Amino acid sequence: MNKAERLINLIAMLLEANRPVTLDRIRSSIPGYQQASMASFKRMFERDKSELREMGVPIQVEPVDAFGEEVGYRILKEEYYLPEIAFTPEEKVALLLVNRLSSGEVIPLSREAGAALLKLSPDLGDGSRLGLPGSLRYRFAAQAEYVEHLNRLWEAAVRRRTVRFVYRSMGSDAEARERRVDPYGLYMDRGAWYVVGYCHMREQIRSFRVSRIVSEVELADPSGEGPDFSRPSDFKLADYARILPWEFEEGAEYVAMVRFSPKMAWLVERDLGQIYRFRHQEDGGGVLEVTVHNEDAFLSWVLSFAEDAEVLSPPELRDKVKERLIRILDRLGEDASA
Amino acid sequence: MPELEERINRLLSLVPYVIKHQGVTLDELCEVYEISREQLLKDLQLIFLCGQPDYTPADLIEVNIDEDRVYISMADYFARPLRFTPAELSGLYLACSSLMKLSGLPSSSLLSAMEKIADALGVAPVSPEDIEKSVDMPSLIPEHGVLADLSRALERRRVVEMEYYTYGRDELARRRVHPLSLEFGMGHWYLRAWDERSGETRVFRVDRIKEARITRKAFEPPPGEEEKPLSPFRIGELEGTEVRLRFAPPLTRWAREQKIFSKVEEDGDCLVCTLYADALTWLERELLRYGPEVEVISPPHLKERLRRRVHDILSIYE
Repeated sequence: MNKAERLINLIAMLLEANRPVTLDRIRSSIPGYQQASMASFKRMFERDKSELREMGVPIQVEPVDAFGEEVGYRILKEEYYLPEIAFTPEEKVALLLVNRLSSGEVIPLSREAGAALLKLSPDLGDGSRLGLPGSLRYRFAAQAEYVEHLNRLWEAAVRRRTVRFVYRSMGSDAEARERRVDPYGLYMDRGAWYVVGYCHMREQIRSFRVSRIVSEVELADPSGEGPDFSRPSDFKLADYARILPWEFEEGAEYVAMVRFSPKMAWLVERDLGQIYRFRHQEDGGGVLEVTVHNEDAFLSWVLSFAEDAEVLSPPELRDKVKERLIRILDRLGEDASA
Repeated sequence: MPELEERINRLLSLVPYVIKHQGVTLDELCEVYEISREQLLKDLQLIFLCGQPDYTPADLIEVNIDEDRVYISMADYFARPLRFTPAELSGLYLACSSLMKLSGLPSSSLLSAMEKIADALGVAPVSPEDIEKSVDMPSLIPEHGVLADLSRALERRRVVEMEYYTYGRDELARRRVHPLSLEFGMGHWYLRAWDERSGETRVFRVDRIKEARITRKAFEPPPGEEEKPLSPFRIGELEGTEVRLRFAPPLTRWAREQKIFSKVEEDGDCLVCTLYADALTWLERELLRYGPEVEVISPPHLKERLRRRVHDILSIYE
């Protein structure tokens, strides 16, 4: 007897029942239970019931008589049935596109979203009949290697639960250490997910790259009910959602001006124009005004533009660019053709 | 258990689907539930064995397959699918809000769909506002204008004229392309399109398209081309010139995380990394970024090109 068959029959029976069904009746009716001894039937039934409840099947327990000595089970149709929803063709297309996103597992709770859309399928109908517009040719490539971490962190963030995990930072302290974090939110930048939250070790708000979490993500107080913290009312995820390498506080802060050639200026403006001041120049180039904390990281970035970027000020930074270039030349050794 | 759960969930949606759309084809069901024909027939067979006690033929669900069309009767109690679990409802909200952030699509139909769902089911256990605030995807917003244009061009099958920055060759140039699909992966949007200049289907990163103009010229995509996915993304291909680099600390930790290397070997406290590249121009810029802590072991002509490039940059500062 197939287990799926047994479960479907159990749901069907309890859904169709007008009054609670006793254990005896369940056992004598459903083929999969009939062959089992009373004790093993009870174990089987308990397991089936809890699995179905986990799937969201609302199995109720009620007394079968006025004395309440014996209980029975049933499923109320109004609690089980998903109400019928009439979607417009445009809404159907939008939801089918959401399905594309969730099957890519790019975001937290993707599988759950996919399961919800599966349940909507009778009301969505067949996508290919809708004469799909170009937007449906959007695809989302499967990529999240840390779906479990993402799910747990997201759940903890919206439920305000403190988590703990072992984190391998990229900074000067190379050792992996356990952190306690009050997660405030998640963000994705260039394909990598980060969790932003209050770090109990550093005693400040920090970003953690999810791929650098080397343990399970666990609740700090698993027996508690939460919430464990409240998110500061002035907290905005967008303020932390993109910390550029040169913004990590390492040295003194100063403002640098960098000119970009027409070839690259538009790319820089598109990327950073919302964060820093960007001045257009007549030739199509432009000047970016950047606040620098970490000079090394900033120099790396500027030099990656090669001759398409020039540090205009401060003069000391210009000298450092030259110095770095000369060190690269030294490292390359003598010109073999000379 | 997950497999069984998936199957139960599918069966509980499949039956109401057929009840609502009597005479639906097997092909359509395979497409909607993303399963093989074989699996679908197994599912239908299982449904055929279910019903009410005492499971006499009169009590069983009736499943008929007639010329590839499916009909189900005697299953009124399964006329509707099961309600969402709290996590499923949150997941759906999160996916909808993420889609709007990622695609910048005109979201009115998505918002109205979500409103209908909220009206029918009540509010999510976690408030939609909290869900909205819990996730951010900031760096994708700026190229939404380009994305919207490309999406329109896809819809109308129009040739697009665009100015594109090719990172590999470090070159900004005009191209005419026939858009086939848009895909989000590895944190970026990609356009797959047939490129008139090379006569090949190419992949373009949307954020590197400076401007896209929809022309009046329509095109017919080659059959099957639109459906092809562009993934898996090509990483660490074993083609092109072999390049070997030696990273010194502290760059070693960073180098380990990069996905462009085909091989990473320890060398004392240094790391020797190997990659294969067709064009080396982009690599010159990457090497300038890494700075003096990386040594080019081979090939020699990469050293030579880098040396020339450093002299060029130095001349700007003279």
